[in-house]
Amino acid sequence: MPIVKIENVSFTYGRKTPYEIHALDSVNIAIEENLITGIIGHTGSGKSTLVQMFNGLIRPDSGSVIIDGENIWDKPKQIGKIRFKVGMVMQYPEYQLFAETVKEDIAYGPKNMGLDDEEINRRIEKSARFCGLDFSVLEKSPFDLSGGQKRRVALAGVMAMEPKLLVLDEPAAGLDPRGRREILGGIKEYQRQSGNSVVIVSHSMEDMAMYCDRIIVMANGRIILEGTPAEVFSQASVLQSAGLDVPEVTKIVTALRRRGVKISSDIYTIQGALEAIAKCASGGEENVT
Amino acid sequence: MSLDITLGQYYDTKSLIHRLDPRTKLFFVIIYIVAIFVAKEIMAFAFLALVLITTIIVSRVPLRVIFKGLKPLTVIIIFTAILNMFITKAQSEPLFSVTIIPNAWTLTLYKEGLINAGILALRIILLILQTSLFFSYATTPIELTDGLEMSLSPLKKIKVPVHEFAMMMTIALRFIPTLVDETSKIMNAQKARGADFSSGGLIKKAKALIPIIIPLFISSFRRAEELATAMECRCYHGGDGRTRMKKLKMKARDYTGLLLTLSILAGVILLNLYTSIYSI
Repeated sequence: MPIVKIENVSFTYGRKTPYEIHALDSVNIAIEENLITGIIGHTGSGKSTLVQMFNGLIRPDSGSVIIDGENIWDKPKQIGKIRFKVGMVMQYPEYQLFAETVKEDIAYGPKNMGLDDEEINRRIEKSARFCGLDFSVLEKSPFDLSGGQKRRVALAGVMAMEPKLLVLDEPAAGLDPRGRREILGGIKEYQRQSGNSVVIVSHSMEDMAMYCDRIIVMANGRIILEGTPAEVFSQASVLQSAGLDVPEVTKIVTALRRRGVKISSDIYTIQGALEAIAKCASGGEENVT
Repeated sequence: MSLDITLGQYYDTKSLIHRLDPRTKLFFVIIYIVAIFVAKEIMAFAFLALVLITTIIVSRVPLRVIFKGLKPLTVIIIFTAILNMFITKAQSEPLFSVTIIPNAWTLTLYKEGLINAGILALRIILLILQTSLFFSYATTPIELTDGLEMSLSPLKKIKVPVHEFAMMMTIALRFIPTLVDETSKIMNAQKARGADFSSGGLIKKAKALIPIIIPLFISSFRRAEELATAMECRCYHGGDGRTRMKKLKMKARDYTGLLLTLSILAGVILLNLYTSIYSI
């Protein structure tokens, strides 16, 4: 059973004003459990709007949002409960920190869930580890930390709620390459160890290729592609028409193929390219035409 | 929680009213407010309502948008009207009288009280609708403060920092939508962490706001600092010798507007003098 099922969902911002924006246009998707799903699209393609439907922050104008087999808008008064099942890390989450210490801030979500102190402490430690936060940081004020560390604290605050589905909107935006690797690596490790599902929204092709099991591509409020990274990145022309691109390394491989190097076309990570090129080189002349 | 606020909600229809000089609109609103309080006769109010309806039609701002601004104030209007209904004392026969605490508190309702309350409610409604139409929907905040600065600039002669005040107002107005945006973003983020803003007693509700107010304060200070740096980088040093890209210029339509405005006040005074259905 898919963890998220979106059926025929449409949404318009600022309905009946001159600033109407059609953010989503009868979208249908199913997100499978135990996977990292990436949602990519250019700015304004509706990806952030879509993920805010997952935990009921936005109510669709039409269509249904089914989380874990349950239509979340059947009981609109209990919409708060879905937020313990679907954890959401917004864009630039470092601006939501408020508590006196990092520890208290991470504990905010679990406390709202009504967990006991022992369980909360266990979860704080666990999520701090996934997010690469040093335990010495826990007693500090979140406002004394660097931007990257604040981001990790905010991430840990949602991870500590151990949601069945963790949604991250641009978790690595504005970070340096090392920060990106560490945060996304931590997310992947969290997913693999907990078995919970993860959805990452991004417009970095490289990150998506490296960390996602499945990819959904959006443009102008619609889904235009869906599949494994290999399937999606083989459709370079569709991606380009949506204002997106394939990873740089895929471009290099395509260029090599055009020059007659016999190398497989479904390469989209640097690691994959390295192996393929090494194979070509060791394979000797018969591979080169 | 709804974050509907009328201030800074420019509704662009490019109508004649939108294109008027902000100083004309400023003058109009001031005179209109004076006229609302000068008006005593029912005909004078009818005339002012007619002016309001005409300006709404000319502005082409939909009625739905205009009345949205009135919604948050309904409670205040009803409350003041009811209060006025019962505090008005008159010589005439009371309509009814209820004793709540014997010998101490009696509610008496006179016909005059009803009329007073109605007039008061009408005044408030006219005032809000006309000001919000001219200042929020038909004038951008920047135009408005520019107009204010220009109108008050004679005060510079007596060393009133008019430009600085206008700049402060511009910045404050400019950041209202930003702050509203930011508030809803932070509220969403905390809701996603299971925050509950609606249940519990007063203290619990106030406590639930801490996770919103603190990030909001911090980001406001950060914004203020960034803005100050950006202004300094562009060598901003107050109003002296500062020129404008968009210079306000009164056109023929503005002078016509000023004349029409004055005639509204004159009309109200004349209607006060020469009609008498209800005298208050």
